[in-house]
Amino acid sequence: MVATSEAKPLPKRKPRWNRDRVYSNLSYLTMVLPGAIWLLLFSYLPMPGIVMAFKTYRLARPPADYWTQNKFIYSLIQSEWVGLKNFEYLVLPTNMAATMLYIRNTVLYNLLFMVVGLVLSVTLAVIIFELTNRFWAKVYHSIFFLPYFISWIVVAYVVYALASSNGIVNSIMSYLGMAPLEIYKETVYWPFIFLIANIWKYTGNGSIIYLATITGIDRELYEAAAIDGAGKWKQFLYVTLPHLIPVIVLLQILAVGRIFGSDFTMFYSLPAGAALVKDVTQTLDVYVYNMLRSNLPLGYPAAASFLQSLVGFVLILITNYIVRRTRPEMALF
Amino acid sequence: MATSLGQGTAPTGNLFSRRPRRDMLALSPTVNGVLNALMIVCCLLTLMPIYVIIISSLTSEASLTANGYRLWPEEFSGAAYTYLFSEGSIVITAYRNTIISTVAGTVLSVLMVGFYAYPLSRDNFKFRRFFTFYAFFTMLFGGGLVAYYMVMRQVLQIQNTIWALFLPSAFSPFWVIVMRTFYKTNIPDEVIESARIDGASEWRTLFQIVMPLAVPGLATVALFSAIGIWNNFFNCLLLIDEAAYYNLQFTIYTTLNNIRFLLENADKMQGLVNISDLPSRTFRMAMAVVTVGPIIFAYPFFQRYFIRGLTMGAVKG
Repeated sequence: MVATSEAKPLPKRKPRWNRDRVYSNLSYLTMVLPGAIWLLLFSYLPMPGIVMAFKTYRLARPPADYWTQNKFIYSLIQSEWVGLKNFEYLVLPTNMAATMLYIRNTVLYNLLFMVVGLVLSVTLAVIIFELTNRFWAKVYHSIFFLPYFISWIVVAYVVYALASSNGIVNSIMSYLGMAPLEIYKETVYWPFIFLIANIWKYTGNGSIIYLATITGIDRELYEAAAIDGAGKWKQFLYVTLPHLIPVIVLLQILAVGRIFGSDFTMFYSLPAGAALVKDVTQTLDVYVYNMLRSNLPLGYPAAASFLQSLVGFVLILITNYIVRRTRPEMALF
Repeated sequence: MATSLGQGTAPTGNLFSRRPRRDMLALSPTVNGVLNALMIVCCLLTLMPIYVIIISSLTSEASLTANGYRLWPEEFSGAAYTYLFSEGSIVITAYRNTIISTVAGTVLSVLMVGFYAYPLSRDNFKFRRFFTFYAFFTMLFGGGLVAYYMVMRQVLQIQNTIWALFLPSAFSPFWVIVMRTFYKTNIPDEVIESARIDGASEWRTLFQIVMPLAVPGLATVALFSAIGIWNNFFNCLLLIDEAAYYNLQFTIYTTLNNIRFLLENADKMQGLVNISDLPSRTFRMAMAVVTVGPIIFAYPFFQRYFIRGLTMGAVKG
């Protein structure tokens, strides 16, 4: 997104310090204070916890004269450093296959959702924008946005009503005289279930930002293109798309940073704990959660969790670096 | 850092505003008709799952067993809902927890985001860059699930309290960035200057001048945070062990999971469970419907504002 403030003709006068400005700044500080405290507690406080990935975390009681009586902080500091030993657990011969499988699931689902989501959201935005009757355009868009309100847990109910052994799909199958499908026991169906659920829930919401961008494009550009003989497709390629690219790039940079993460609740709740389809439904997030809730040493999930944070952070830096080298105005930072 | 995110001018007018009648860019009637037909089919497909759960929650259990799921049931019945809200139902506690946490969390997030974003939009705030980065950095990097879990449980100790259901979602750096842009593009400097000349303090300016002008943006933050907290499952899964603090999503997920497990393994534990004791299918569907329930009513109320809020906050024209 272009920083329009750079285009201002005269550099702004540097505000001088005086009593008023000191007073304003003190007020501003009180305004950011609640949010700053929240960020400190809920985002920054867990950050030092990543060292758990390199330690054998053991819960211990701090001695009475120790500076903090908090067991977690004391244990975190006192636990023994073990280097990369926790990471070795993830690549043990017995676990290697599972780890790679969950990484594959996470990355492939993310890439799939990124590409399909982008194409469908942009298409929907263009269609909604082009429709002649604005009232119906609004009605359609409101309907497409509706699923965003519906939680994954309710979607899990819908999937169950459709896919369970006596569900809607199997009533149709028996009506057609075909053998019932064992959807909760076979892996082939799940990538499609996730893809359809993801499209259903997010396309309407995803298209808003593109629709808003298209609405902001100067109509004269289209008129000029039309006079030059460009049809709708060429207008899309040469007018609409170039305007959408900055938004697309921005959203994709952020999406790349989440490539080792996933929509936990979707992957966790839709299969509703069906063990036989784990190979295609488990992502790294769910894997980390399951390890956390098992009896394994906390260092193991911490190591997997550290990998997620690190890969996401590094990828976002690399992507942003590449974007900044080629198209500086589109970089995130 | 992050100064370029979402900056720029906003599109003028409404997303669905009327176009000139004679328009050289208008679609041909055929293409328009085809696209409308496509949209109608897609809309029906989108509404289908919602329709299925509503209609089967209103079907009598007998006709559901006899005919399976139907688009129009043979016999209607509200029995599932009566049973759902009967005395001592688990849904009642869950409902109370969800409503309290959604209201509290939404109010908190509107205030905290609205407060935090305002100074970031002001050029005379000395620490503007620092606090922008301070919020933005958390979007790029985090301590991960294990550290979060340990800090929530061992340091902040909010597990098994109502706070766990909304405090972790009561602020959002993403919406801070959106609101900062909204303030920048929608609140003219002159308005703020004139308030200052009239002797209003910064806080008073924010409350009486800036926030009333920023209602579309703040309503958007409110809507998305209300949806987020109402539909939140993860925090309850992670931080709540006592049934007294379960929220709606977690309660109905547990029910579904138990039913699925018992039914799939019914052959292995014959005699141990009586299948007919499980919540009936209509009852389950009624649970799903009341879970969606109130949050959907928020939509028309906020819709007035929220597209405008998103448009002007997040987008460069």
